[in-house]
Amino acid sequence: MAIVKDSGFKALEKLKSTEPPVFLAPSSISEVARAASQHIFEKLKPYNPKSPFDELLVDGFDAEQIWQQIDMQSQPLLSSLRQEVNRFAKNPEEIRKLGNLALKVSHEDDVDEMDMDGHDSGDDELEANESEGEEKDEEEEEDGDEEEDGDEEDEEEKDGDNEGIEDKFFKIKELEEFLEDGEAEEYGIDYKNNKGVAKRKKQNLRDEEDDDDEEDDDEEEDDEFGAFAGGDDEEADKLGKAKYTDFFGGKKKETKVKWKDLSEDDEAERENQGNEKLSTHEKERLKVQSKIEQMEKTNLDPKHWTMQGEITAAKRPKNSALEVDLDFEHNARPAPVITEEVTASLEDLIKSRIIEARFDDVQRAPSMPTKAKREAKEMDESKSKKGLAEVYEDEYVRTANPAFAPTTFSDELKKEASMLFKNLCLKLDALSHFHFTPKPVIEEMSIQTNVPAIAMEEVAPVAVSDAAMLAPEEIFSGKGDIKDESELTQEERKRRRAKKKRKFKAESAKEPVKKARDATTVAGSEVL
Amino acid sequence: MAESTQMEVETATQTAPLPAKPTFKPLKAHEMSDGKVQFRKISVPPNRYSPLKKAWLDIYTPIYDQMKVDIRMNLKGRKVELKTRADTPDISNLQKSADFVHAFMLGFDIPDAISLLRMDELYVESFEIKDVKTLKGEHLSRAIGRLSGKGGKTRFAIENSTKTRIVIADSRIHILGAFTNIKVARSSLCSLIMGSPAGKVYSKLRNVSARLNE
Repeated sequence: MAIVKDSGFKALEKLKSTEPPVFLAPSSISEVARAASQHIFEKLKPYNPKSPFDELLVDGFDAEQIWQQIDMQSQPLLSSLRQEVNRFAKNPEEIRKLGNLALKVSHEDDVDEMDMDGHDSGDDELEANESEGEEKDEEEEEDGDEEEDGDEEDEEEKDGDNEGIEDKFFKIKELEEFLEDGEAEEYGIDYKNNKGVAKRKKQNLRDEEDDDDEEDDDEEEDDEFGAFAGGDDEEADKLGKAKYTDFFGGKKKETKVKWKDLSEDDEAERENQGNEKLSTHEKERLKVQSKIEQMEKTNLDPKHWTMQGEITAAKRPKNSALEVDLDFEHNARPAPVITEEVTASLEDLIKSRIIEARFDDVQRAPSMPTKAKREAKEMDESKSKKGLAEVYEDEYVRTANPAFAPTTFSDELKKEASMLFKNLCLKLDALSHFHFTPKPVIEEMSIQTNVPAIAMEEVAPVAVSDAAMLAPEEIFSGKGDIKDESELTQEERKRRRAKKKRKFKAESAKEPVKKARDATTVAGSEVL
Repeated sequence: MAESTQMEVETATQTAPLPAKPTFKPLKAHEMSDGKVQFRKISVPPNRYSPLKKAWLDIYTPIYDQMKVDIRMNLKGRKVELKTRADTPDISNLQKSADFVHAFMLGFDIPDAISLLRMDELYVESFEIKDVKTLKGEHLSRAIGRLSGKGGKTRFAIENSTKTRIVIADSRIHILGAFTNIKVARSSLCSLIMGSPAGKVYSKLRNVSARLNE
């Protein structure tokens, strides 16, 4: 063993001395490392009675396998060590004890083993119950453990009082201590000020959790604490005294001591860490302080680009304007949101307009009264008959003396056109039975012949008349009252006869003279 | 002056009355040139010789009777000579007569040329096709054809719408008329020479002549 120890020690020393880069290369250093690890394993073995290995098996084993062995040994060790550290953190006096114990080489292992056993058992149970999360059992066990390792005085007292209940698993003192610690961590209670509150809370917790099991224990514990005088708030004590005296009256001493220890421990811890076991006020103050610090820091830092006033694109990060909600002055009216109400109102308007027939149609603007289009002079493509002089002459005359101006070609054409149209109109009127407004009479001199009208006019069905062109008085130029033969009366006939006789007589008076003359000649001719 | 002389001024010495203000009749052409006779001589191109012979009397009569300018034909020198008489009323008559004869020589008809005698504001403008655009050979012939049109209808159209007379003699063009009318006719003829179709020229003419005739 000694030889091995020495070689192992040497190996450790060698490992220490080697430089880190050498470890990276898989080479000679492996043997040394194995030896060192074996040595350490053997050193630790006494502390771990449950380990399956007596020594670390190294030859022919893989690194993974060696590691597994070490792990198996060290796992329980770690948890027990943690417990020890916690214990020592709470009770610094224990360290002194341990020192004494350490001097005692022979008893060291036994005591440690005992403690370890207790711890191991407790730890095993802890491990079993951690997953389930039953605080109750844990607290009981831990308190039990702690109480076992608590002050000797207390231990002696407790053992005397609580023999019936407490065993190596369940220690009431340890339970109480654990509860106090938990509360302190949770609520950040300031032990100096609010001890009563803490106590009350603890008591409430205990009441809730351990009613069934601890009624008897509580009574006994109360007896224990009866000796302690209340340095705490008496009001709180009085308030909770009913509960206290019923159950935990005797525990005042211990809690006080424990409070003192805890407070000492808290101070020590605060120096080291500072965050975990603070009172509520402290915690709030710290939060506020941190906030203040943060705000001061932000004030000192350069501002965000949105708060810097006028910013060009170069001074702000790329595409940062997209992330910020910018406010623009929109000159255009936003598009109207088309809702059902809007469309309904529009449709109503349309319907009413249709009913009224009041369409806002665009009306054509009335065109200006245009001048009469001046005569477009027809382009004559033949040689002009007039000479140039005559052309100018005509122009001059037209401007100077419009009356004497000879008619132009267009004027003559107009005249011809108007005559043609008149004739046409006449023919059309004949078709409509001459039922028309009479035209103005045009005085025209023309010779009328006494020809039957039928010869003069067109062969038209209605307009033909049998009447002669000339009127009767135009034909007959007679005077007086003309009567027909049958219309004459007797006297008129007589008168007519008388007139006729008279005329005959007058004529016959003239004729005998002639006849005498003729007779002579006739006689003369006859003689011969 | 007469009034002043009529005023009787009692002076030491009686001055003789001043003569009356002279009244002169307007000077005759003859007298204006200090009794000298003025001549104009217009040469006759060979192609106008026989038309001159035909229309001689139409030329002679208005010049001699109305313009009171002597006119004679110098056969040997193929010139028409004009001379002022004593009773030529106005010196411009000679020039007008000369212009009239010259217009006839260019190719204008007598009734058109006579307008020169009657109106002051008429002028004759001549230019050549090559002044507008250098054309050779067939192009030149085509341009001349474009100017006249079929049966001369384009030329007549321009003449009638602008109140001018146009004579196209080979590649020479003469325009007789008033100043503004000559301009319009010239621009339309130039556009025809440059190659625009007759229809386009007609439309332009229509617009311009309507404005001219207002």
